[in-house]
Parts: sequence; structure tokens; C-alpha cells
Amino acid sequence: MNARFDRAPHAARHLALLLLAALAPLWTAAGARAQDLLVQCKTLVVAPDTVVTPGELLVRDGKVAHVGPEIPAEARTRARTVVFADATIVPAFVLAHSTLGRDGDLVERRTALTPGLRAADAFDPFGDELKRLPRLGIGSCALAPGSGNVAGGLAALVKPGAAMGAVAREASYSKLALAAPARNPERQPTALMGAIDLLRQSLRAARADQKGDPDLQALASVLRGERRAFVHADTRAEILAVLALAKEFGIEPVLLGAGDATDLVEAIAQARAAVALWPLQPAMRDEVLRLPQTLETRGVPFCFVGEPGELRAAAALAVRYGTSRRAALAAITRTPAEFCGAADAVGSLRRGCDADFAAFQGDPLDLGSRLLAVYVGGVQLFGEAPKAPPATPDITRKDSL
Amino acid sequence: MRPTISGPVLHALSCALLFATAPAQEPEPGQAPPSRPAGEAKPSEDKAAPGNAAAPAAPRERTIAIHAAHIHPIAGADVENGIVLIRGDRIAAVGADGAVAVPADAETVTFAQGHVYPGLVDAASDAFTDDAVRAETLDAGAALADGLRRRGDREDAIVRAGITTVYVGGRGNPWSGQGAIVRPTADGFAPFPGHEHAAVGMRLAAGAAETHALQRQQLIETVFRAFAELDDYKKKLDEHQKALEKYKKDFADYLAWHEKKNGKAGADKPADASPPANAGNGGGAREGQDAQPGARGGQRGGRGRRGGGDGERPPQTPAPSPTPAPQGPGDGKPADAKPAEAKPADKATEKTGEKPGDKPAEKPAEDKAPERPKYPKAPPREPSKDALLEVLDGKLPLRVEVVRPDEIRAVLAAARDRKVPSLVLENVLGGAAIAADLASASVPCVLTAVWPGTRPEAFAAFDALQLPSALLAAGVPFAIASGSGRRAGALPLMAACAVGAGLDEAQALRAITLTPAEILGVQKDVGSLQTGKLADVLVCDRPLLRSDCRVLAVWSAGATAYQTEEPR
Repeated sequence: MNARFDRAPHAARHLALLLLAALAPLWTAAGARAQDLLVQCKTLVVAPDTVVTPGELLVRDGKVAHVGPEIPAEARTRARTVVFADATIVPAFVLAHSTLGRDGDLVERRTALTPGLRAADAFDPFGDELKRLPRLGIGSCALAPGSGNVAGGLAALVKPGAAMGAVAREASYSKLALAAPARNPERQPTALMGAIDLLRQSLRAARADQKGDPDLQALASVLRGERRAFVHADTRAEILAVLALAKEFGIEPVLLGAGDATDLVEAIAQARAAVALWPLQPAMRDEVLRLPQTLETRGVPFCFVGEPGELRAAAALAVRYGTSRRAALAAITRTPAEFCGAADAVGSLRRGCDADFAAFQGDPLDLGSRLLAVYVGGVQLFGEAPKAPPATPDITRKDSL
Repeated sequence: MRPTISGPVLHALSCALLFATAPAQEPEPGQAPPSRPAGEAKPSEDKAAPGNAAAPAAPRERTIAIHAAHIHPIAGADVENGIVLIRGDRIAAVGADGAVAVPADAETVTFAQGHVYPGLVDAASDAFTDDAVRAETLDAGAALADGLRRRGDREDAIVRAGITTVYVGGRGNPWSGQGAIVRPTADGFAPFPGHEHAAVGMRLAAGAAETHALQRQQLIETVFRAFAELDDYKKKLDEHQKALEKYKKDFADYLAWHEKKNGKAGADKPADASPPANAGNGGGAREGQDAQPGARGGQRGGRGRRGGGDGERPPQTPAPSPTPAPQGPGDGKPADAKPAEAKPADKATEKTGEKPGDKPAEKPAEDKAPERPKYPKAPPREPSKDALLEVLDGKLPLRVEVVRPDEIRAVLAAARDRKVPSLVLENVLGGAAIAADLASASVPCVLTAVWPGTRPEAFAAFDALQLPSALLAAGVPFAIASGSGRRAGALPLMAACAVGAGLDEAQALRAITLTPAEILGVQKDVGSLQTGKLADVLVCDRPLLRSDCRVLAVWSAGATAYQTEEPR
């Protein structure tokens, strides 16, 4: 009996120790987060049109607190400093459309209209594809419904993390499709005509909806301009149909794919539409490889989407075929962030944005520039530990490209 | 003994038919190819006469001095503010401004901020082939050079990208025929003389489908069995060769007997006395039907053509029962027949059943005409086996496309077992895992997958971008190649990808210039900016591996192949 009484305090002590051991990392992590992070580099690209040389970035609570000369001296001294001496730091890339290898779980095939479904519900925070993003320089990604439905649902902006990923925006853009995958011989629509009509009827219903139907309200938010609509359209007929619907309902769509847009750039510009291009490939036709340059010239916003591993190479190929470096960098940072309705958080390194950045040995659009490190939310998810800080940083110049 | 008549003549005819532009005579190995094959269309900018190298007595050669801020010779240190001097189709000098003597009549071209490189060498491409050739299984005897098309949909972009030498291969599985080295031009291509048959290709990559490793190895072993099946064929060829030698000797004796009998030793031979000319080439029924094993590879113009003759019929068959008549003066030149020996007599005695020593003085042996020797029947020729014999002789490299490490290992083992002296591996995506094996086997690799992107799950473990660094660390020579004519424009970006994954930039540049030239065996002519090499020169507005690099001008063998219209 005594022994039983003796064991009880032991058990309590063990429990207390276990609790302490379990909570210690959290406490330590909270303490680490509390300390500011001062990142120094040769060149800091705050946004494609804003470059700071030499670059400095103060990270506080996972967000950009100050940039360059704006960093208070007091904060500078208290912060933990990391140095990427010869590196160029750019906003971590934003991938505006991906299924992260979950194609099958992001299409409800029984019906063609599921505009209210949320891709966030199918998000796997431990997915291998998600873990792969940091070593490709990608800090955030829109998990999008597939193109198997005319109205597939709402995309979610997700981010990789040290232990697991997280949803940054639950309801980003609305995913629509007129392309071939949306036409299914086993249910309506089976043809492009039917798909166009179905989408038109849905948009009309959404415009007239007074009952707050979740599906229709998801479309109504597009009509109200609260979120963008990504419309998968590959062929000329599909693109023209999207442009006609855009004019009819007063929306500014993002054409997803748009491989045949080479002849329709003027019409796209007039409709104030944007384009999300599949990654450029070296084997593509010259006119397709030069499409980004044409879009840039005509002032059509564009970004690259699709396979994460090809994102940076697609931008580099666009540069090879005439696109300016500024537009190519925007196409994988700021522009996709805008399309996702998250330009206030990702795609640039302005004050208040998430501290998602990538350090490259040189210009990120030169494929010979090695990726050194990637931070997401101020936490390093890829790369070697940076070097010790230099004696005194010299912030002398801030200019624009 | 090499054929003396049919070889060069028929080869020239063959090449003329094949390319319509090929030179009339194949150069010796190592001999520099001419600047431009006769009749080859050349860019309109080129004011020089074509084929200057074929006309050594030309009054003057065009001389061009290219001044540029940065010259990257690849072989040797970079030169700042230098000059590349071109004379005719060759590089006359490379050096710093002031160190190179520029002739007064030289054309001067200046690129104040330009970067000058040697013309790029793409060591694996499907350019100029059509879809059927790409997909079809072509045995080792089928030569792609016979069926290349002049111009496809994007081939004109190849030379605009600065690529001046391309190895063109098939994609057939498991055999993909014989690849050719060509020189892309603005309006097509020209053959690389002497390298129309550059390698025998095989494709032993099982693909991404789930297959058992042992099954893949079994397939490789089965395909390589073709080399083991050459023994009988080679034996027949050797026997035929011996029979030919004997025939030649017997016929000479036969001629000598008649000449001696007619009392005109050294005079004209009988009207049918032509066999010695073809006795050495197996009947020479067709060009490319060379019966001498030792002469394989010397008659590449006709090798590999399908449906060749069987070589049974000598071109000039002597009359069935020759009765050499007294010949008048001026009927021809004396043959190089040896003086009559005792052999015809011996044959005569054998025929009658008498022993030679029985009655030596009673009946002179000269009285009995020796039997005319019968031309030996040649074994049927098989171009595929001829090509494989050339591979075993080391005259043609064997190029094998493989992906997985187990495939690579199996091919290395099979090639070692079959004693293939020259092996080149292509693709080699999974090669990093067995780089040491590749190094110990001294097998060069042509990497065609150095580009980021999704790969099938079976290949997900292979890092295409890290592969060049891994091979370099192990000491494996490697080239980075486009693998496709449609991807040729991105060749420098592929090299840049390797740099981004840790490869030294100089090594990356070498991997698209000099190393592929070495792998293709054309390093004496291309691959670097060195005196005496072909004047293949690429000028860019900034370093080649940068994404925004623009090609300003390309010279191919001294002729302007491309020049930008943008101001430089």
C-alpha cells in the first residue's frame, strides 16, 4: 500500500516532466520567433520593379517588417543576422494553379457544376509534392480544382512548412473550364456548345440568386469582382467563348492554358483578360515560346502555372525568347499572387507581406544561378545555413529596374 | 587488298545520289573535310565561292577578322579584346588584338561587347529525320544518312542557335540504324564528309513502365546476342576471301601459261583477262559489297544500303573456254601477270592422273592448257552484320540509349563480354548512381535529359540536373545534347541548368562544344576556336549561358550562316 502511495508522486513527476519536455520546443520556438531576423544580401528584389542594393530585410513574426534603409537601428542590433553575401534575394515564387499530384481528389465527376466546392477541403498538408516546393524556390501555391468540371470549385492558397503545410487562403479564385476535359460523354455537357451554355446559365442564375445558394454565391462573387475566375480554355473557339462570356457578364477572366492564344492577343487585351500559361518547353513552336513577349508588349498580364519543377525554367525560356526579365519575374511572383487575390501577402517583399523569399547565387532567371536558400514565413525550408554577418552593412542605394 | 576501281567511283556516285551535294571523294580518316560540299546552297550573305577547299588553286581566299570584347576558345584561356581570324573555311589565328596579324585585305567585323564561342556541337538530335524514321526500328545496316530530309519544320533554327555540327540518330527500339553527323545550314544541312555513317545506334531504355530489372537485363542480353551471331558470317567472309586470293593466283597462272604458249611473254593477255581487277573485291557486283573483311569501313558510301547484290557475279566473266588467239600490237597493255611457273603444268598432270616426277622430259607440261579457274561464289551480304563487324573492329562506335542504372550496368557488361571497343551511352538519366562504373569502363555519355521537369515515377529518383556534376566528379566524359531538333535552341540553357546544379561553367561550355566533338570523333575540325579548325564561330551579345543571350552572328566553315538584323 505504501508502495502504491510512493509510486503516485513518481507518476506525477514523470507526467510533469513529460509535459515540460513536450512544451519546451514550443516555448523555444516561440522565443525564436520573437527574435527578429535580419537578412543581408547583395541584391534584394522587393518586387520586379523595385531593387535594393545591397539588400537588407527585417523579418518579424514571419512577415516583412522593414526593407533596406527603413530598418530601425535598434531593430538591426537586436535581430539575428543571416548573410547571403553574393546572393540575389527575390520573393519566393508563386504557383497560381496546381493540383500538387492530387488530380483525382480535386474533381467531382458526377456533375459538371460544383462551383461551391473548396479545394482546401482536399488539401494534404503532408503531401510529397508540397514538400518539394521549397527546393524549387516556390513559397506558395494555389491548390486548384481540376478541369473536369465546367465549374470546379474554389482554389486554396497553400504553403509548405517545416513540419507540415498550411492553408493560407481558403477561398482564392473560382475555377471554371470550357476545355476538352470539362466535356464528358457520360454526362452533360458533352460538347463545347453545351459547356458554354451551361456556364452561361450558371452565371445568369448566380446573378439572379437571392437565396444565398452556396454554389451560386461562389459564382456571384466572381461577377461582383471579389475574386478572379480561372477559365481553362485551350483552343481558339474556347478562348473566344470565354471572352464573349466575359463581355456579357462584365468579368475579367484569367485564361488558363490558352495555347492557341497567339492569334488572339489583341482580343484578349481588349477584354481585359489575363493569361495563365502552362510552362514553356524547349520543344514548343517559336510562336508559342514568343507568346509571353507578345502578351507583355500588348500589356496583357500573364503568369506561368502547372508543374512546379518547370516554373523557373519556363520564365527563363520566356526571357530567351524576348520577354523582359522584369515581366518574366513578375510572371512567377507578383502576377500570380494578384490572380490568387493574395498580392498583399505573397509575390513581393514589401512591408507586411509574408517573409517568403529565395536566395540565388545570381539572377534567378539565369538557370546557371544556384538556389541557395528558401524561407517561407521567415523559416528556412531549404538550403544551407547562411554565413556569419559582416562587420557593418552599407546601405547606400535604392533604385528601380 | 582494297578495291582499286569500284570503290571511289561508286562511292562518289552513291554520295551524289544520297546527298546530291557530297564530295566526290571520301577523305582519309583524320583528313580535314572541305569547307562546303560542291553544289551546297549557301547563305546569300556569303560572297565567297563555295567549295574553295576543293579548288586549291583558287585565286584568293576570303579572310575575315572578327574583333570582339570576349573570346572563349574553350581550349585555352579566354581572351579579352581579341581577334578570330578566318581564312577560307579555317581558323587562321586566335589571339589578343595586336598579337594577331590581320591582312590588309581582310574583312573586319567588330562586336564591341560581343562574346565569341566556337560553333556548338549537338551530340544527339533527331533533326532532319521524319516521324517514320524516328519511330521505326532500323537494323544496324540501315543508314539514316540515306533518308534525311533537307528541311523540317524547325531545323532552320538550329544554326541560328549557333549549332554548327549535329549528330543525327534514330529512335528505333532496339535498333535505330546508323547515325550521321551533319552540318546544319540556314536552308538545310550538309553532310560532314567522312562521317555520314558515324555510329550504330541502339535504344535499350525500357521506358518508365513498371518492368522487372531482370527482364530488362534479359532484353539487353538478347539484343547484344546479335554480336555473337556474327561468327558464322565472318567465317564465310574469310573463307570467301581466301578463295578469292586463290582464284587470283590461279588466274594469273592461267594467263601466264597462255602468254608463254603464244610466245609473247609480257604481251597482251587474253580478251577475258580482267578478273584480277575484281578478284580483290569479292566480285564487286555492287558497290558496298566488299568481300574483304579487312576492307570493311573503307567503302562506307555503299555500306548499309538495303537490297544489295549477292556478289556472285563477277563483272567481266571470261569466256567459258578461252582460246587465246595471237594478239596484234596495240591491243592493250600487258597485265601484271607473274611469269609462268610450274603450277599450270602440275595441274595438267593432276588432271591426267600422272605423277609429276614420272616422265619429266617426255611431254612438256606447257602443251596442256591449265583449266580455267572458277570464280568463287560470294556469300550473301548482310549490311546489318557488316555494320556490327565494323563495330567490333572499332571502326564504328556503338551508341546505346539507356536510362536506369541497371540498364547501364547491363549494357556495360554486355559490351565488355562482346568486346565492343567503342561504346557511347545516350540519355543516361540514372547514371549518377553508377558513375564509378562508367568511369572505370571509360565510356563517354551524351546527356539528353538535362532539363527540369516532371518525370515518370519510375525515374523520380534520378536528378537530371545533378547528373553532369556527378559524372564530372567520377571522371566520366560527357556531352550535353538537345536530343531533338525541336529543342536545339535551348541547348545553352540546358548547359546552364547543369551550372545551376553545381557544374563549373567552363565544363558546361565544354559539354556543348569540345567534349561532344571528341565523342563524335571530329575534334580535329570542330569544338574549339583553334588555328586550323573549321571556322565555326558563334557570336553573342552576352555570355552564352545567360537566359537573355542573343545570337548576333554565326559562321559555319567560314561562311556566314546567320546574322541578326538587330543593331549590335
